[in-house]
Amino acid sequence: MDSIAGTKSSLSWAVNISVVLLVVLWLIPTVGLLVSSFRDRDQISATGWWLSPFPVSENYQVKAPADHATPEGGVNTITGNVFGEGSGKVSRFGGKRAAPTEFKAGETAELTRDRTLTVQSDGSYIYTSPAEITRDPSIYFAAASPPDFSLDNYRTIMASDNMDRAFINTLTVTIPATIIPILIAAFAAYALAWMDFKGRGFLIALVVGLLVVPLQLALVPLLTLHNKVGIGQSFLGIWMAHTGFGLPLAIYLLRNYMVGLPRDIIESAKVDGATDFQVFTKIVLPLSFPALASFAIFQFLWTWNDLLVAKVFLPSNSESWVMTVKIADDLLGSKGGDWGILAAAAFISIAVPLIVFFTMQRYLVRGLLAGSVK
Amino acid sequence: MKLSLYTSAAIIALSSSSAFADGHLAFGAEGGDFSWDSYNTFAESTDLSGQSLTITGAWTGNEKEKVEKVIAYFNAATGADVTYSGSDSFEQDIVVSARSGSAPNLAAFPQPGLAADMASQGLLTPLADGTADWVANNFAAGQSWVDLGTYADKDGADQMYGFFYRVDVKSLVWYSPEAFDEGGYDIPETMEELKVLTDQIVADGGTPWCIGLGSGAATGWPATDWVEDMMLRTNSPEDYDAWVANEMKFDDPKVIAAIEEFGAFARNDAYVDGGSQAVASTDFRDSPAGLFSIPPKCFMHRQASFIPAFFPEGTEMGEDVDFFYFPAYADKDLGKPVLGAGALFAITNPSDAANAFIEFMKLPIAHELWMTQGGFLTAHAGVNLATYADDSSRAQGEILQNATTFRFDASDLMPGEIGAGAFWTGMVDYVTGADAADVAKGIQDRWDAIQ
Repeated sequence: MDSIAGTKSSLSWAVNISVVLLVVLWLIPTVGLLVSSFRDRDQISATGWWLSPFPVSENYQVKAPADHATPEGGVNTITGNVFGEGSGKVSRFGGKRAAPTEFKAGETAELTRDRTLTVQSDGSYIYTSPAEITRDPSIYFAAASPPDFSLDNYRTIMASDNMDRAFINTLTVTIPATIIPILIAAFAAYALAWMDFKGRGFLIALVVGLLVVPLQLALVPLLTLHNKVGIGQSFLGIWMAHTGFGLPLAIYLLRNYMVGLPRDIIESAKVDGATDFQVFTKIVLPLSFPALASFAIFQFLWTWNDLLVAKVFLPSNSESWVMTVKIADDLLGSKGGDWGILAAAAFISIAVPLIVFFTMQRYLVRGLLAGSVK
Repeated sequence: MKLSLYTSAAIIALSSSSAFADGHLAFGAEGGDFSWDSYNTFAESTDLSGQSLTITGAWTGNEKEKVEKVIAYFNAATGADVTYSGSDSFEQDIVVSARSGSAPNLAAFPQPGLAADMASQGLLTPLADGTADWVANNFAAGQSWVDLGTYADKDGADQMYGFFYRVDVKSLVWYSPEAFDEGGYDIPETMEELKVLTDQIVADGGTPWCIGLGSGAATGWPATDWVEDMMLRTNSPEDYDAWVANEMKFDDPKVIAAIEEFGAFARNDAYVDGGSQAVASTDFRDSPAGLFSIPPKCFMHRQASFIPAFFPEGTEMGEDVDFFYFPAYADKDLGKPVLGAGALFAITNPSDAANAFIEFMKLPIAHELWMTQGGFLTAHAGVNLATYADDSSRAQGEILQNATTFRFDASDLMPGEIGAGAFWTGMVDYVTGADAADVAKGIQDRWDAIQ
């Protein structure tokens, strides 16, 4: 028993494999989204993203131009190349939509009404008809198409009007909406953790209770209030809304962290004559940095990704769109059919949060753990 | 040489800036097939300089661009400053902003159900007196559009709130003329012929239909259109109205029969691409792609007039794809019923400019300006049909104007709980195997519960 702490479990390889499996499983949707962001709408609805790295044999249709027909040996003949100016390799072809790959390249297909069609593997074709050719006949063929990825979706998004404006608007909303609640919550958390006053327990219970109130309930009354006091739909309004919605979690998180700080330090500071404000700024605040940082990440991610609060509390004109609103209301097209744009927009909009997360994640982990392990 | 280049550049810059002044008006200020006379009269008699007007609606993306081109003409005529903002979640946004007192002046509702709800809560302002008479006289099947725009106000009195601006025809079947030609199939004129054709395609080894009900949170709505079309083809218009008002119960044998008519197509594995199990899971936006694949995954797709927006890029109307009227039974003598839907303007925050905008909407040119951009049908009888962007829109417009019976999408008229809830989910249950009678009874129970 006393040697357990030092030995390595003989099953550690199983643990490692399952961790890798779980990570892969977890990443699949994101990888799919990333791959889709390089494909256009038609490709996405034609094949799954997992097939996109492979060359696929696809069926194509071209029209032989009827006005190029020349009478040769008693039959009207059209010659040409299915690839036009380009090149490719035809594997099979056909003369009917219902059977587009009936014949092997190089064979001569006997079509209805004594028409014939020959397509070579380099794409050159000969179409003959004893009667006059009035409509452009269709030639169907199968050819392998290489994987096709493009940056068009990203270009569309980056080049769309007001995208820079939307980016700045998002920052304008996000940064104050992260800083204001931290400032308020840090004071409140200190008071709830280390100052003795009547009703403290009740206040803490109230804050915890507020955590479960869905913010959707507050949208209409809060906006009515904003309109009445004259803030209306504005950036000031959305900062206040985000602050209000973020405070319960912020206070709860910071208070739980601060309560775990060693009592001795704070008491000895007080014995030395420090006021509460000095204790807060000189001792508690520096020690709470991991918790502050982890809440900042939470709040930043939440306000960055927010769509609902932005739609309600900001004016609806395109000058005050944040990125999420811009993507949902402008880029996705009418009735939201542009999946490729959606995928690319998702990656553009998560770029900043990813950077924030990776630069600050050690605080996140430390902040979450530090409160639980003493 | 260099100097002359600069001068010509300056000339171009100057001329383009003067062109830009006109350039706000995408189709010029005269000429074309537009009805200019009434527009010029309106422009002379209306002056809203310095006034602003806000409009929200569910038109986003390229539809937003189109409606903004129409609005530019209103701005040019009146000097008003109109801002339009489209929202993907319009139905929620408009309720929040109206209740909290920050509503826009006008809202373009995609369907009447929500407008009726808001009217009954006193959040809408009735249109100017005389609008109802005007619509009755100037729209094709005018009285039905008046009825669809008339709702009970807070005190229960009927008032005219909604002015219909954009109409969708739903009774259309899309097909590839080339595939039909190669298969030797003719356009069916009657429902009997359509069923024969469906069996014929199966016998030839093909799959006749593409049906997709997927639509995110709204999954199931395309099936409600099918059932409504079937209701109109198996029952009288009066029965249809009674069904919408729930005077005829949802589990009435006639309704169940209509659901089963739909099931005859959707629940037959041989009839639909991917088998009946794929119907509920296929997204309605991806569903028409089967028409264009080689070999075709299906030959026909029943969907409303807006669906070309989801055809693959470069699809040519009339060439790669065309449509025919979803036919009626020859032996039922119910005429040629047409199912449709439409968007309407309602005043959410009254102002002079809002009333003037509704006046502008009465002008033929307000409709023609969008008709010429495509994807727009109107019931306005005074418009010049020559302004339709293409023959297929014109043909759809004619279907609309020649309908012996026009009925509005029932699910848009039923209470939201049913028309945008129980009916949708019930249809998903039905195509995945539930019994039609059970599904209908479940929907009726929900309806009883909210009454």
